[in-house]
Amino acid sequence: MMKKLCRYLSPLLIAALMLGSLPVVAAPAPASGMITTQDALAAQGAQSDRERIHDVLAREDVREQLVAQGVDPAEVEARVAALSDAEAAQMADRLDQMPAGASVVGALFAVFVILLVTDILGLTNVFPFTR
Amino acid sequence: MIDCPRRQPASHRNARPAGVLALVALLCLLAGCAATPRLDDATRSAVAPRMLIGDVPFHGQRDYQCGPASLAMALQYQGVDTDVDTLIPQVFTPGREGSVQPEMLATVRRHGRIPFVIDGRFEDLLTELDAGHPVVVMQNLSLPAWPVWHYAVAIGYDLRDEAVILHSGMEAKREESFKRFDATWARSDRWAFVALPPGKLPASIGAEAALQAIGDFESVNGSAAALPAWEALARRHPERAMAHFGLGNARHAGGDLEGAITAFGDATAADETLAPAWLNLGLAQAAAGRRDAAHEALTRAAALPGPWQEHGREALERLTEEE
Repeated sequence: MMKKLCRYLSPLLIAALMLGSLPVVAAPAPASGMITTQDALAAQGAQSDRERIHDVLAREDVREQLVAQGVDPAEVEARVAALSDAEAAQMADRLDQMPAGASVVGALFAVFVILLVTDILGLTNVFPFTR
Repeated sequence: MIDCPRRQPASHRNARPAGVLALVALLCLLAGCAATPRLDDATRSAVAPRMLIGDVPFHGQRDYQCGPASLAMALQYQGVDTDVDTLIPQVFTPGREGSVQPEMLATVRRHGRIPFVIDGRFEDLLTELDAGHPVVVMQNLSLPAWPVWHYAVAIGYDLRDEAVILHSGMEAKREESFKRFDATWARSDRWAFVALPPGKLPASIGAEAALQAIGDFESVNGSAAALPAWEALARRHPERAMAHFGLGNARHAGGDLEGAITAFGDATAADETLAPAWLNLGLAQAAAGRRDAAHEALTRAAALPGPWQEHGREALERLTEEE
């Protein structure tokens, strides 16, 4: 149900955001003001307008994904704000496959399972109860 | 020698060693056979033979909380008043049961420190530790096919014993051999960062990476917070026009017009094709009431082809209209 709703809402949202952000994208610096360091750095990296649009959309995407991953909605805004453009784009693309540092307890468990399986297959001989 | 009792046919007895051999071959293939990393001689002689940053606080890493715990250690060492329980809601992602790399960096920014991702070379890790900077490293403790991602804080090393000293998991000052550490670190593409207060730079960082790190910090924390970092970068890399340019903007945002003009001037001296520097130099000089100098700088900006040429022309037109 939620998925279906999202499927219809997403294109609308993308279109709305794209239109909303176009003026920002087209004019990176106000005509009268100075050029910011961030804009100059972005231009040096030969960042195209398409990439800039992508960056604007990325933050919205990350916001949604973090909420879906169980992050407290009250925290999400501050977390997204602290990301750089490149980091936000990276997370929007692949938050669910990104390496997420966990704990060594998990490591021990994984090694245990692997050795247990290889023991049962008769390839290793760590746990006496598998014989 | 004692003969084994012949309970099995010979063919069955030989199956086990063959299986172990096959498994070892498979694991090697999956893991990429590990070897002790070779240090280049320059680094070996440049760093102290033994180093331990003894006063890095330790926090045991509870279930899945190695990200917040590693951050707490690195941040507290740099004088940030925070703790693991404050950091958990800021960096931990329940759905992933862990913390992802971009958010580790973002959280450092939120606490007013600059995260510098260092080049993933063993030499750089030792250089940073030698300079007294604890390094947060990401490891994959398992195999690439079944990754177990983990953050730890490197706090020292011993060249003679070939060991890295880490605050890791529930163990403070754990010694891990270069070989074992490098094998697990290599599986994260040797990802590591140092968190430093603005004004301090990593010993091993390149100018380009530092520019990006400080620029990202500035867009989150503002120019006033980033000013000391730009000062430090311009001092270390006087040949980098963008370092002076960033310094000029930060000074200008803080109301230091004369300082900004000096820095933009240094930027154009370092690279006279940097159009934004000519443009900002011209605008700053116009604001300071020096019309001739402003005119000259904006003319240079308007003459340089590129994405800023239009801005340069417009600024020049406005200046001439006002005259």
